[in-house]
Order: sequence, then C-alpha cells, then structure tokens
Amino acid sequence: MNHATKAKEFNKDESKVNWHDKALWYVREKRDKSAHSIQGWEYLRELGSAIKANVLSNLDEYLVEFESNAQKNGIHVHWASNAEEHNNIVNSILEKHNAKRVVKSKSMLTEECHLNPFLEKKGIEVIDTDLGERIVQLAEEPPSHIVLPAIHKTKEQVDELFQEHLGTKPSQGNPEYLVSEARKHLRDKFLKADVAITGVNFAVADTGGFVVCTNEGNADMGVHLSKVHIACMGIEKIIPKEKHLGVFLRLLARSATGQPITTYSSHFNKPEEGKEMHIVIVDNGRTEQLSREDFRASLHCIRCGACMNTCPIYRRSGGHSYDYTIPGPIGSILSPGKDLKKHSSLPFASTLCGSCSNVCPVKINIHEQLYKWRQVIVKEEKQPVVKKSILKVAGIILAKPSLYGFAGKSARFALKHLPKFMIYNKLNAWGKARDLPEIKNENFDEWYKKRNKNG
Amino acid sequence: MKVGLFIPCYVNQLYPQVAIATLELLEKLNVDVYYPQGQTCCGQPLGNSGYEDDSKGACKLFVENFKQYDYIVGPSGSCIYHIKHHFDILEQTPEVQKVRNNAYELCEFLVKVLGKTDLGASFPHKVGLHKSCHGLRGLKLGSCSEVKGEHYSTEEDLLNKVKGLELMSLNRKDECCGFGGTFAVFEEAISTKMGKDRVQDHLDSDVEVLTGADHSCLMHLEGLINRNKQPLKVMHIAEILNSSL
Amino acid sequence: MNGTKNEIKMGREAILQSIKENKPDLLPMPTVNVEAFAEDLNILEVFKNNIALVGGNIKQIEKKAIDTEVKTIYSKAKRIVSTSSKTALGTVKISIDTDPHELEDIDLAIVEGEFGVSENGAIWVTAENSIVRALPFITNDLVIILEKDKLYLHMHQAYDIISQRNRSFGVFISGPSKTADIEQCLVVGAHGAMSLTVLLV
Repeated sequence: MNHATKAKEFNKDESKVNWHDKALWYVREKRDKSAHSIQGWEYLRELGSAIKANVLSNLDEYLVEFESNAQKNGIHVHWASNAEEHNNIVNSILEKHNAKRVVKSKSMLTEECHLNPFLEKKGIEVIDTDLGERIVQLAEEPPSHIVLPAIHKTKEQVDELFQEHLGTKPSQGNPEYLVSEARKHLRDKFLKADVAITGVNFAVADTGGFVVCTNEGNADMGVHLSKVHIACMGIEKIIPKEKHLGVFLRLLARSATGQPITTYSSHFNKPEEGKEMHIVIVDNGRTEQLSREDFRASLHCIRCGACMNTCPIYRRSGGHSYDYTIPGPIGSILSPGKDLKKHSSLPFASTLCGSCSNVCPVKINIHEQLYKWRQVIVKEEKQPVVKKSILKVAGIILAKPSLYGFAGKSARFALKHLPKFMIYNKLNAWGKARDLPEIKNENFDEWYKKRNKNG
Repeated sequence: MKVGLFIPCYVNQLYPQVAIATLELLEKLNVDVYYPQGQTCCGQPLGNSGYEDDSKGACKLFVENFKQYDYIVGPSGSCIYHIKHHFDILEQTPEVQKVRNNAYELCEFLVKVLGKTDLGASFPHKVGLHKSCHGLRGLKLGSCSEVKGEHYSTEEDLLNKVKGLELMSLNRKDECCGFGGTFAVFEEAISTKMGKDRVQDHLDSDVEVLTGADHSCLMHLEGLINRNKQPLKVMHIAEILNSSL
Repeated sequence: MNGTKNEIKMGREAILQSIKENKPDLLPMPTVNVEAFAEDLNILEVFKNNIALVGGNIKQIEKKAIDTEVKTIYSKAKRIVSTSSKTALGTVKISIDTDPHELEDIDLAIVEGEFGVSENGAIWVTAENSIVRALPFITNDLVIILEKDKLYLHMHQAYDIISQRNRSFGVFISGPSKTADIEQCLVVGAHGAMSLTVLLV
C-alpha cells in the first residue's frame, strides 16, 4: 500500500488527525522556543552539519580509531555488514552468557534489523524498556515516531493495553497512574535481566567511548543491572572528538522535544568491574547510501525527529503511513536507498515545503533530496500509465507555444462548458473537496493582445 | 531597465486578473515592462513530479523568451524558485545564468530592486497573508518560524503600507497549505486536510481577505473555501497592491 | 564460534573497504569557535531556572545545613545511601563490590556532582561519585550536592573540564527521570529517580 492510501485511511477519523497534528505541533513549538533561546543556534547547526560531513569523508579512519580506543578500554567490538550479521552477533553474545532475558532501550537500528522477532524465535524474552516502545510492543505495532514511539496512541488506548497485559485497573487513561504501573512492571524486568541492549547516540573516535541519551533512565537501569551490555550502532554514529559532543548534545534534545538536554546523557567508556561491554558496528546499506552523492548527507541524521514534528504531512498522516522504520521526511529520503520499489511513494508524500530542512539540526537538505529521489524513481520504477503519459505530453506541449495556446484554450473551453457532473466525477481528485476555478472569458494572452490593439 | 513580465501558465489561463494587476502595477511604477509572446511554463509541474528531463524543452523556451531582459518578474514564488534552483538541468550558458540570476518574484522585485514599499494602494479590509513555502523558505522572502533570526517579510512590508489594510495575525504563521502541485491530486486526502486547516486558521483570525504571492496555493485554498461556502475572499497580493479606493 | 569469528572479520573488512570506495574526498573538520556562544548572563540564576525547568528542586544552603535540609525534604526516607563525606545521613553502606540489585529498595541516594552546566541544568556525575553505577538511577529519590562555584555556562566548557578525566562512566543528569510517552503528558518519575534535589553549597 502506498503512502497516499494509508494517509487516506488515517484521515477517516478527522478528530484523531487534529489531535495528532496538535500534539506534534506542540513539540515543534517547544523546539522553536528552546532552540531560539540560546546564543549561536544557527552556528551550532552549521557546525553539526560540517562535523558530520567531515565524518563521512573520513569514516573508515574514524571507525578504526574508535575500535582501537574502545578495545584498549576493554570493550569488545564487532562488525556487521547487514541485519542478519548483526542479529547473529547479538545472538552469539547472548548464547555465550546463556542469556534468556534481555532488556532493550531505544535503538532504531535494532528495529531496522528486526532483532526482536529474531531473538524471540530463539526463545529469548526481549523487553523494550522505553515506555513508548513498551506500549507499541504490547500493541504488537512498530513505533510510529523515532522519539515518541506511541504518539499515535491515546491515553485511553494505553489504559486498555495495560489492563490487558499488565493487569492494571481502569483509570480513564490517567497518565500518572499508568506510568507508575509501567515503572513497577519494568523495574521487575530490569532486576531480572541478563543482558541489556542499547542504541548509541554518538560514538567518539578519539576516546573509544559512546553516549546514550534517555529521559526515563531506562538505558542506565538496564545496563547497570545486567552483566553484559551490548550497544548497537550504525557506522554513521561516529564523531571525531569528544569535545564535539558539546555541539551535538546541545542540538539533539532541543531539536527533539525542546528540552535543553535529555535527563540522562550517559558516557560509557569502560565496562564496570566484572562485566562485559560489546559494541556492534553495522553497515546494512549505509555504505551504499554513502556512494550516492546526492543523498549522502542523509547519513548526517542524529535521529532527533524534528523533521517529523514539523512536517505538515507527517502530522496528518501518522508515522505508520510511511511503512518504514524511520518515518517522516528523513525516512522518505533514507528508505528509497534501501528498497526503491517498496518505498517509491514516499518522496512524493511531501509538498516540498522545506520546513524539514529548516529544523534539521545537522542541516540535511531533506526537501531537495526528496525532489532528487523523484527524478530517480520516475526513471527506475514503473509509473502509473495515466500519470506518465499526461506529464510526458505536458512536456511536449509546454515546449511549443502553439500547442500550448491550443491546449489552454480547449481546456478552458471544456471547464467552462462541460456539465458539472462530467467535471466533478470520481476520476477528478481535485474536485472531490475543492471547486475548480471559475473560468474567465479570456486568458491573459488574449486580453493583452486586445489591449495593445486598442491602445 | 527592461523588465520581462513572466505570467505562469495557470495564471495566464485561469487567473488573467492576477496577470493584469501585475502588469498594471508595474506600469504604474513606471517600469519599462514587456510581455514576451509565446510563454508557456517554467517546467515546475514536471520537475516536481519527477519528470525533470521532459521539462527541458519548456525550460529552454523560457530562457529563449526572457534572455534579452534585465529582469524577469512574475507573480508566483514557486515558479521563480524553480527557475532559480532547478534550471541547473540546462547547460549553464551565459544566457541561462543571466535568466536564473535576474528572475524575481513580484514582491521581491518591488522591494529589493525598486526599493519601494508604499505603492499608494488602498484596501480597507482585514487581510490574512498566506506565506507560500517556495517563496518563504525557497526565495527567502521572509524569515521562517523555524530559523532563529530577525523577523522580516517582503509581503508584510508591502501590505503594511496599504491604506486601510489591517494585517491579521495567524496562529501558524507559515504552515504549508497542502497544494504541492501534483501532490494536490495524488495525496488528495492530506492535501485537502492541510488546506482546510489553513483556511480555518484565517477564519479563526477574523480574516476577510486571504492573500499571498503565489496563486497556486490560493487556487487550492479558494477551491476549498468555495466548496464549503466559507466567508473568505481570496485575492493575489498583486490585486491588493494594485487596488485603490 | 570459529565460524562466527570469520564472519565478523569479513564484516569489518567489507565495511571498511566499501567506505573507502564510496566516501567523498576529505572535507575539513571545522574548528568550534566557542566565542560565538558567549552570553553575558548570571550563570547561577540561569542554572537555578533550568533545574526548575527540567523538574528538579534546587536549594542554595550552607554546607553545615545539608543534613537538616535533606531530612526536611525527605522526612520519610529510611534506607539512605550517601557517597558524600559532606553528610552523615547514610544508613546503608556500599562499596564497589555491592551488587546493584541490592539497591532496589533504596529510598534516597546522596551523591556529589562534579560540576553543573548553566544552559541546561545538567550535572556531571561520575562512576566514582556513585561508587556503584546504578545508584543514581535505581534510587527512589536523588540528592546531588554541588559546590556553587563549580558552574559553567555551556557544554563546550563542560567538555573542556572533563577532557582530562579517567574515562570509565559518567553521566550528565538534568532533573528527575521523566516521560511524555502517554499523550505527550509530562510525568515525572519513569524508571530512574522520582525526584531530584540539587543542594548548592
């Protein structure tokens, strides 16, 4: 199903669309207020972008530097070319420790690799510990947003889910009560976990350390209570120097939620005495994206979700309409690189308004890349015959003033004189909710010629 | 200074009054303005749909039509944006470069090139300004709500000088209307929802006349307003700037 | 295991080779002009405001008043771990050998912070400050004692300060744990500490 079809489905309940739009717009407004309150915000974005561009141009060296520094600190480093390798590596570590219970904090990468179902099939319990992720896990749905995974759920829906799965009392969606119950439920999981899996927000080449950011404290609860910590990262998470964290931690939370920083920014450099720490470095299509000059900058992404919050389409179609791990504008430029056919409708799920590029903390030219993907898709993917022929013919007509004059005239004649039922029919998507413009007796060309004659 | 008047294809065919207002306004300001015959389209609808390659003929024709002018002025931000940013598909001859460098959206031309904001217009109504995305974020006709910096707006500068005009403040100052070219048809549900929300913002803000510098957005919004019989009049900014009591 | 090891190695070489083939020409690493972020403001006041903004309490008191203050705010706390020599309120002793699972029912932890960051109310707490890394997270409530002259304007300065540290584990803590995952309603007290009190001394 393409984006438009799913978006139409989402729009069947207009009050829910309004609610979803407002919830995310509120986050966007908080972002504006928070970002604009600090000195040098736009300079920070430029730095973020330039540092990431430098990273991509020297990525192999930085990764090797990171690996060597991490190993010096007693961290095990693994490399995975694709999702399958990644999952196998994680599984082999779990097997080594005979681990059956895993707690996992937010990691879009493990989502991308479908790690949970892979481990579950092997009889391992994997609990997502971020509250939003736990909610969608219980609902057996993918996250609909990378920072606010359950943003599509109302509190009443969460209430029902918790009653069913956690045995809570009906509370009419009381958030305090529901959070306190989730705290109890997940605390038990933390205490019993054998291994903790986390994502990585930033991996630092010059120290071999990495940073994980959460508001709930779930990454730390998992890691510090388990014997083994496995951190999974895409190759693009590297930054050259620890001091660059100053730039990125200032950008990340302000862009994501409007907070000045996440509650916990945890810096892992060495495992705790008697424990193990592993890092899995994953490619899974990223080096291929690196090869595409026009789309390379999409790898700057620090997963803040600001482009989703600001996107007027995302806000009104919901994250699931994108049918990709990373939804919204950034997902629409990443996903065609993974599977052009499957995701070919996503670069068209945009008006190219450019708001995404304006909020992006690392200045990815998202809307320009959307435009460029469209050119690629039209060439490489089969297009609907009607759309294709109309636009091809338009190309010919628009290159020839005489053809254009004739076409314009006949179109206006048709619009003016055809009976209404023929204009507003099922094939006319414009006319479903909108009137067509009122047709004037003459076009500007004709008016101009007449005036010059008379003048 | 010779100015070539660029009238986008849909304005020519569907909104001749916008083209007339643009021409009259420029003439009123003593601009040496010409309307080259044989204009069709800048190629934007093709480019935005992914058929950039098929638009080369239209782009070349555009350059041919306008290469002799010092400035090219048109009442549509998105078309001008397309010329400035997407004519990179043509071989960059001096003529192509000249056309790209000298293409101006009408308001931008009035304020930046002519240095005029007070055009002697009079329009005693409550007006809501729709800031079209390609003009705002593309051509930088004004400051954007996402970006930190001083507030400025080319269209507001002009409207604020119109006698009797009251510029109303909107809740969402620069949200997209959902037109987006073929997006309006292929993503019909979202497009109309976005438009509906924009219209509602203007209604909530006591606007009588909704205006903007890009008539494609206005065509979409007007279509919704007319269908839903809402009490809002839609006019291009050129019509307001060209009006007198 | 051998098979896995070979595979892992292939992953590494394959990835690095692919990067070499696909990366663009070297682009310069920008230098960060910290001057661009200079602001003439009252660091202490901004820090206090930001602690409140992120949901924490902050009190500026005399060193000798710490115990009284803590007892007033957390009057019901019984199982208290203190890793600070500035207070005698600790009732549960811990060492680096303490199993973190034993801290499950700790009511209150009192630790010292190394320094605070004015722009975001974050306080740098190291593994050494906590003795057991889990402590500031697993405790029901958290008190951080911070010397008032150890405040810095922004994160760039913060990273200068910690550039020479012994790197094992450290965390910037900004407020109590929180979530907005249910309908964007902010609820304080997710998995980590339910409350945070910062005592500036």
